[in-house]
Amino acid sequence: MANQHITLEGIGLSLGYSQQGKRKELLRDLSFQLYSGELTCLLGPNGVGKSTLIKAILGNLKPWEGRLILDQQELHTYNLEERAKRIAVVLSEPSYPGNLTVGQLVALGRTPHTSWGGKLSPEDRICVEQALSDTRLTALQDERLGELSDGQRQKAMIARALAQDGKVLVLDEPTAHLDLINRLEIMTLLREISQKKEKAVLVVTHDLDIALETADRFWLMNCGSPLHTGRPEDILLSGKIQDLFPGEKYRFELERGKVELVQDPDNLSIEGPATGVYWVKKALQKAGVREVAESLTLLPSFELQLGAKSFKNLDELIHFLKNSA
Amino acid sequence: MSSRPFLFPIVLLTLGFSLLLNLSMGSVWIPPTEILSGLWSGAWDKDSWEQIIINYRAPKAFVAIIAGMGLSVCGLQMQTFFRNSLAGPYVLGISSGAGLGVALLMLSGTALGISTLGLNSWMIALAGILGAGAMLLLVSLVAWRVRDSMTLLIVGLMVGSAVSALVSVLSFFSGAEALKMYTVWSMGSLGALNWSQVALLGLVLGIGLVPVVFSIKSYNALLLGDSYARSMGIRTERLRWIMIGSTGILAGGITAFCGPIAFLGIAVPHLARMLWKTSDHRILFPGSALLGAILLLLCDALGHLPGWSSTLPINAVTSLVGAPLVISLILRKNLSKDF
Repeated sequence: MANQHITLEGIGLSLGYSQQGKRKELLRDLSFQLYSGELTCLLGPNGVGKSTLIKAILGNLKPWEGRLILDQQELHTYNLEERAKRIAVVLSEPSYPGNLTVGQLVALGRTPHTSWGGKLSPEDRICVEQALSDTRLTALQDERLGELSDGQRQKAMIARALAQDGKVLVLDEPTAHLDLINRLEIMTLLREISQKKEKAVLVVTHDLDIALETADRFWLMNCGSPLHTGRPEDILLSGKIQDLFPGEKYRFELERGKVELVQDPDNLSIEGPATGVYWVKKALQKAGVREVAESLTLLPSFELQLGAKSFKNLDELIHFLKNSA
Repeated sequence: MSSRPFLFPIVLLTLGFSLLLNLSMGSVWIPPTEILSGLWSGAWDKDSWEQIIINYRAPKAFVAIIAGMGLSVCGLQMQTFFRNSLAGPYVLGISSGAGLGVALLMLSGTALGISTLGLNSWMIALAGILGAGAMLLLVSLVAWRVRDSMTLLIVGLMVGSAVSALVSVLSFFSGAEALKMYTVWSMGSLGALNWSQVALLGLVLGIGLVPVVFSIKSYNALLLGDSYARSMGIRTERLRWIMIGSTGILAGGITAFCGPIAFLGIAVPHLARMLWKTSDHRILFPGSALLGAILLLLCDALGHLPGWSSTLPINAVTSLVGAPLVISLILRKNLSKDF
C-alpha cells in the first residue's frame, strides 16, 4: 500500500451554523484522513451532523476553526470550478429530469471541464464512455432516466460523478431508497471504483452490515464524542462499534456480524443443529415463549419434536404452545 | 447530445408560413403570393396593400415574433431555474409591475383631473417599463436576502398579487373612459407599435437574450437541482441574477409595449420539450424561441380573421386557442415525466 496517500484531510475542524447572529456549533475538533484507493463509510445516528460534515467537505460550509486540506492545499482556496474538478458528489434525493438519457446525464458530469457552451471535446467523450463502462451502463446509455429503475438511476448518478473525474467521490446515502440487492451491488461497485480508479470514496450510509462487507475504513460519528476512524474490523474487535447503539436495548453480535435486540433471559433449551436452533429460539422469543415444559428438539427434517408430539413447522408449534398456556 | 435535428428546418419553414399567413390575414385578405411578389419587386397590385403591409401588418408581425420569442425564453428560464413546470415569465410579478405603472398613468388621470386622451404609446411603454423595473428592483431586494429559490418564487407571486390589488383599487376610483383604456391595454395588443418602437423592442430582445446564451451550460447543470449544479462548479447565485436580469428585461420590455400576454410563456417550453424530446437547453432555448414566435403569429392571425371588422385581443386568443391545445398535449403525455 505504498502508493496510497491522503487525498483529503481534516485537522481540528469545528463546524456549525450562525442563525440571526448566534453561532450554533454542531461539531467540534474533528480530525480525519481520506485515503485514495479506499472505500470509507461514514456511520452515525440521524442528526449527529453527518450532513454538516459532508457540506464542509464539499466546500459549501466554511469551518469556524481548523483546516480542510485537499491535495495539499486548503479547500477554501479553490474556486467553485476547481473544486468541482476534484470532488464529485452523489446525493440521496431521487429528483431527476425524466427526459434526460443516461448518456446525457453522464455527459453533464463534464460540466466543470467544458467551455461556456458545454460542448464535449473528444477527451470529454472518452471520459463519458469510460464512466459508462465502469458502471456497466453502456447498454443503457440511450434510455431515459424516467424509464429506469431506482437502482439503475442511482448507478447513472454514480457514472455522472465518475465522469466529473475528481479524486474524491462523496456519496450521501446513495442507497437509502434501494432494495437489498441494489444496495449490495452499488456498494461493491463503489469499492471496485475506489480500487481500480485510485479514488478516495466516502459514503454516508446506515447499512452497517453492507458497510462491514465492503468498506476499507469506517468513520464513526457519535453525539458528544470525537470522530472515530479505523478499519471496520479494528472498530469491531475493540468494541467501539457498540457506540453506535447507545442504551441497553441493542447489541452488536460479533459472531453473526449484526445488531440484535437484547432479549430477556430465558430457560429455553433446544436440541439440534446450532444454526437451526438459533432461529427456533428467535421465533419463540418473538412469540413471547420463555420456557417449554418438555424437551424440544429440532429434527434434521426441520420438523419439531416437543415431548412426544411433533410439529411440521414453527407456526404450528407456537400455535400449540399459546393455546395450551 | 442533440435529438431530432431534422426538426429545426421544419420549424423554421413553419415560421415562414406563419409569418406569411399572419401578413395575409386581416380585415382585408391579401394573398400571400401578392405579398411575396410585392416585397420582392416593390411593385404592388394595389397601393393600399403596400400601405397595409408596410405600415401596419409587418410591424405587428415582427412584434409577434419578438414577443413570442422573448416570453417563451423567459418561461423556459423560469421553469428550469425554479424546477417548477408551472413557472412562467410573470411569476416574479413583472407583468403586475408593468400593469401598475400603466394603471398609474391611465387611471390617476381621473383623480388628478387630467385628460387621458393625450397619452401616446411611448408614454404607456415608459410607464410599463418603469413599473416593471420597480418590481424587478423589489424582487432583487428579496432575492438578495433569501437564498432559497422556492421562497423567491412564493414572494414573487405574493408581491404580484399585492400589486394587482393596488391596480384594482385604482380602477375602482377611476372614470369609465380611463378604465376601458386600461382594460384594453391589459388584454394585450401587438399592433399599436410603429417601426421605431419595433426596433427598440428588437433591441430589448437582443439584450435580454445575450445572458441566456452564456448560461446555457448552467441551465443544463441546474436540471439536476441546486446542490448538484454547485457540485459541478456552477455559481447558482450568479445564475439567479442573470435569470432575474434577463427575464426582467425581456418580460418587462415586452409587457410594457404589448401589455401582458398570458399563457404563452408557460406553454411553449412544454411544447418544445415534447417536440424535441430533450431537456438539453442548447436545443430547448432556440426551439422554444421559434415555437413561441410561430404560436404568437398564428394566434394573432386568428384574431384578425378576414371579413371581421373588429379584432380579438391577443390575450384572449392565446388563452382560448393555446389552453385546449396544450391541455390535450399534456393529457396525452405525462408532463411531469417530460420535465
